[in-house]
Amino acid sequence: MTKSKRALRLALATAGIGALSLSACTGPVDDSGGDSSDSGKKVTVGTTDKIVSLDPAGAYDNGSLTVMTQVYPFLLNSKPGSADPEPGIATSAEFTSPKEFTVKLKDGLKFANGNDLTSSDVKFSFDRVVSIDDPQGPAALLTNLDHVEAPDDSTVVFHLKAGNDQTFLGVLTSATGPIVDEEVFSKDKITPDDEIVKGKAFAGQYEITNYTKNELVSYQAFDGYQGLLGEPESKTVDYKYYTSANNLKLDIQQGNIDVAFRSLAATDIEDLEKDDKVQVLKGPGGELRYVVFNFNTMPFGAKTSDADPDKALAVRQAMADSVNRQDIATQVYKDTYTPVYSFVPSGLPGAIEPLKEMYGDGDGGPDVDRAKKRLKDAGVKTPVELNIQYNADHYGPSSGEEYAMVKSQLEKTDLFKVNLQSTEWVQYNKDRTQDVYPIYQLGWFPDYSDADNYLTPFFAPGNFLANHYDNKEVAKLVQKQQVTTDEDKRSELIGEIQTEVGKDLSTLPLLQGATVAIAGEDVDGVESTLDASYKFRIGVISKK
Amino acid sequence: MTVESDKVPAGFGLAKGKKSRSQSLGLARYLVIRFLLIIPTMFILISMVFFLMRITGDPITAALGGRLPPDQLADRIHAAGYDRPVLIQYFDYLGDILRGNFGTTLSDNREVTDILAQYGTATLELVIYALIVAFIIGVPFGMIAAYKRDRLPDAFLRLFAILCYATPVFFAGLLLKLIFSVWLGWFPVSGRTDYLSELSGLRNPSGLYLLDALRAGNMTIALDVLKHAVLPAIALGLLIGGVFLRLVRTNLIGTLGSDFVEAGRSRGVSEYRLVTKHAYKPALIPIVTVMGLQIALTLGGAILTETTFGWKGLGFMLAEYLTARDFVAVQGIVMLIAVIVALTNFLVDVIAALIDPRVRY
Amino acid sequence: MDTTTSKPARQPRWTRLPIISHLRKSVGLQRTMLIIGLILSGILFLTAIFAPLIAPYGYAQASADGANFGAQMAPSAAHIWGTTVGGYDVFSRVIWGAQTAALVIVLGVLMSIFAGVILGLVSGYLGGWVDRLLVVIADAIYAFPALLLAIVMSIVISGGQSNLFGGIMAAAISITVVFIPQYFRVARAETIRLKAEPFVESAKVIGTSNLRIISRHVFPNATRTMPLIFTLNAAESILTLAGLGFLGFGIEPSSAAEWGYDLNKALADATSGIWWTGLFPGLAIVLTVLGLTLVGESMNDLNDPRLRGRRRAGRKKRGGPDMPADAYVNGTGLEVTK
Repeated sequence: MTKSKRALRLALATAGIGALSLSACTGPVDDSGGDSSDSGKKVTVGTTDKIVSLDPAGAYDNGSLTVMTQVYPFLLNSKPGSADPEPGIATSAEFTSPKEFTVKLKDGLKFANGNDLTSSDVKFSFDRVVSIDDPQGPAALLTNLDHVEAPDDSTVVFHLKAGNDQTFLGVLTSATGPIVDEEVFSKDKITPDDEIVKGKAFAGQYEITNYTKNELVSYQAFDGYQGLLGEPESKTVDYKYYTSANNLKLDIQQGNIDVAFRSLAATDIEDLEKDDKVQVLKGPGGELRYVVFNFNTMPFGAKTSDADPDKALAVRQAMADSVNRQDIATQVYKDTYTPVYSFVPSGLPGAIEPLKEMYGDGDGGPDVDRAKKRLKDAGVKTPVELNIQYNADHYGPSSGEEYAMVKSQLEKTDLFKVNLQSTEWVQYNKDRTQDVYPIYQLGWFPDYSDADNYLTPFFAPGNFLANHYDNKEVAKLVQKQQVTTDEDKRSELIGEIQTEVGKDLSTLPLLQGATVAIAGEDVDGVESTLDASYKFRIGVISKK
Repeated sequence: MTVESDKVPAGFGLAKGKKSRSQSLGLARYLVIRFLLIIPTMFILISMVFFLMRITGDPITAALGGRLPPDQLADRIHAAGYDRPVLIQYFDYLGDILRGNFGTTLSDNREVTDILAQYGTATLELVIYALIVAFIIGVPFGMIAAYKRDRLPDAFLRLFAILCYATPVFFAGLLLKLIFSVWLGWFPVSGRTDYLSELSGLRNPSGLYLLDALRAGNMTIALDVLKHAVLPAIALGLLIGGVFLRLVRTNLIGTLGSDFVEAGRSRGVSEYRLVTKHAYKPALIPIVTVMGLQIALTLGGAILTETTFGWKGLGFMLAEYLTARDFVAVQGIVMLIAVIVALTNFLVDVIAALIDPRVRY
Repeated sequence: MDTTTSKPARQPRWTRLPIISHLRKSVGLQRTMLIIGLILSGILFLTAIFAPLIAPYGYAQASADGANFGAQMAPSAAHIWGTTVGGYDVFSRVIWGAQTAALVIVLGVLMSIFAGVILGLVSGYLGGWVDRLLVVIADAIYAFPALLLAIVMSIVISGGQSNLFGGIMAAAISITVVFIPQYFRVARAETIRLKAEPFVESAKVIGTSNLRIISRHVFPNATRTMPLIFTLNAAESILTLAGLGFLGFGIEPSSAAEWGYDLNKALADATSGIWWTGLFPGLAIVLTVLGLTLVGESMNDLNDPRLRGRRRAGRKKRGGPDMPADAYVNGTGLEVTK
């Protein structure tokens, strides 16, 4: 009660000061933005992302997560340049027993509004994600969480359903991880953005001083931040939200903004690479683009009239022999995507490239003869007719070209006859899970940086693909790696899974996305946040 | 309203004599009926959009269809109530509207009234600029075309008007951007201002950026806002301006053929004077009313202009919300547009009825 | 009304066909406009028919003889208008686009005429609450920004699959929904007028069935002004199709070539100074719409004695905003979105 009163008074006071300073600021505005603070110039970042909600319980998307990364503290976080979870606002975070994950908080943690940040806030934060279970929220990531306990002000114990869950560390760094203020956020419903901003319920590296949803977010360094990321390079950062990539591109090119992050068209990136006034920076990206096979309805699938698992496998394998990933990456995506030869993108611990030697010419390229032989050996009459579906409006603007190219590559072998069709996104999802599409396109953006996020959702029973791929051995291995505490052993298991699935080809991975940021020539530090955590930490950016 | 009155023989001052007594009563009755007609129009549009949106799928599949297993997806859809019978959802929705509750958007968690205020003012500002451009193009050139009727300037101007119509806003926008932003660098490519943080920090901002900047007395920002507005205003203004030009021309020619102008002509009044003094005013009334009817054109053009120039207004957001299957937002925006359209048409009809008693059917 | 008063005297039958009769009536400038319009429209339809012969490559062809075209290549001998971001030949796509455009025009406008006229005839002839209901619905749809309606419709329809036929049907049906009210209005108004004419009355007296009266007597007369609206709507359907494509609700490149879609892609190219991907499809749209509008415009002028090339054809001015001849223009030609 007293705490909230104090918070209210503080909020009023700050609001008053803000209003005063604004009403005083009616003179001409100069280009430097008028801040004469000693720690660097104001940095402006542009993006085409969108914010769904500032409330962690109501958002499960990259745009919202980027804001949360800046303004909320995480129990576990990773330093720029790394994807390894380390204690954030915690002094320690570890399994104290197979089903208990215990976190000790640092002392004297506070929110920007002056409220104390205690274990009760932490418990509150996770409990509400689960209990609100917003349709657009990330509650699905917490399925292994049984309950949270806060025995004292600085200790939090997560009780898990399954023991030794190695992915739980990743979960704490993900969209469910932000710690929020129980005195500002509502317990049982999504808190509107304006209330969050007004209540200054921030305790991350930055707080938000000015917020116009999906147009502008103004960040100001939060002095009380005690997390892993330390003091930000720039005190003030403006984040502008663009409606289209080409406008974003022109603004970075003309120097109106300092950094452009997500998402520029491949053409634009290629064009900017020729421009001396900007730097094009690339880091690993978690995005995966792949083809899904429906094991029931694909040619020779289990529910077709000429069902034959061996022939179906030969068709899948012959397709893997025939695609030329490098050509697609270069021609369609100007190498902003790279070929991927596994189900786990390279760069993650445990990722190997089994498909490289198993298919094609053994070095990533296509091999028509190998494909021909495979089909012949299995007794498949060619050309095989393939109905491939793709979606044009969800996975970037170039899906159409990408699949036109897949089609022409497959048909060039004379082994396939491809019918290409596209359907809009919502219908697409209904159809694909109802076995309407024999072969179809999908993409994946990881929830957190861990190889498991590319395995469990895809190959465990009840996965989101719903493509009737059922390999008990793989399912067992997937489950096993999740609870293997020894890192080397776990990597080995993850490798084994990739090889096993590589033989079956439940999906055919094509490309892996790179994270691309464009920075002005006088901007430093951006590259250090382009790591496998896929988190964009604006605190690293500085301007000369 | 347009064609029915064909039944009445042509002639202007027909409503005389016995009608004058009941005229005011008739007018009042007409206005009331005409006003009440707004309700079914709105109702039809709202219902249509409601049912169409339900056919097109739900926002949860749109947002998470590519990440969640089918059963989890179904659970969430169930929790949100989108698997209830459509009619029940429909009556819920109508009930909410009657209670003045327009809901919270699904894809970005905002009050619908909020997004209407924010993006509505953005569109309004764009439309105002575009109308100014349209008037500057349409009225004088239309008068010239009528005056020089069937001669070369007329042919040229008519061709220009048709070209304005034939060029899609986004193609005009693309060319304008290519020339004036990319090659010449005179105007910014997109957006409404570079001083968003300053503008949104003002107290009680109106959302009309130029007005806000002027109120704050900040010329730098005002100029910046205007610079951003130039290209979108021209792109949309040309489209509407072409229509205005034709309207002015057609109506002026009509008036120029009328008795009183003919009388003037026979008395030796010059053709130039006839256009600028005599025919101009009576021709203006129908022009203004028909221009009012262009609201649908203007709003439709605004969608494409906003998309081309990254102008975050109602039209642009509507396309976004449609893609996200955000029923609540789409219904809210459509309702606002329906209200605007219905009210404009009502006003146009009222003006028409005041001018010409034959209209009251 | 104007058409009935300006009915030509006995002449060979073919001269009374819409466009030909207009051509014969026209003089001077108007004739030039009409002819230019006819030529442009003719080019469109000829290109559409002979697209397979004219276009050097397919609309979704990104490679020939085993070699990729390469993306965004500047105009050259091999690709006279360059290549697009997807590595397609711009010239070929513009040519194939004419086919899509022509198909959409024909399908969309035919369907809306069919549905609109039938509804209008029935509504006008029957009257009563059916009539009132249909009028209110038509007015509501008509008042609404057409593009928005088309977008919503295209989402509803494209729930199916976007092969060439599906994509074109989706676009055509979206356009149909938008146009129905216009044909409905005209057909209904004409029907109401004709219903009161003596020849219909007398047909009723001798006990002819409603269906027969509508089909034999009312229909032929009520549809006489249709060619005009048809032409203007054809122009508009191109703009609507392009608008849909531009906003990303149109036809996929692998299904058919569509100018609006190409322009959408070209918008991003423009920021890199690549002009050829946008200019040519854009010009194709402009010229097509220009051609069709010129034809429609000239027909409109020729139907309206006030605006016909000769000075004052002896009719008085009609005040107020409700001038039927103009209504064809104001109500159908220009006020709909693009």
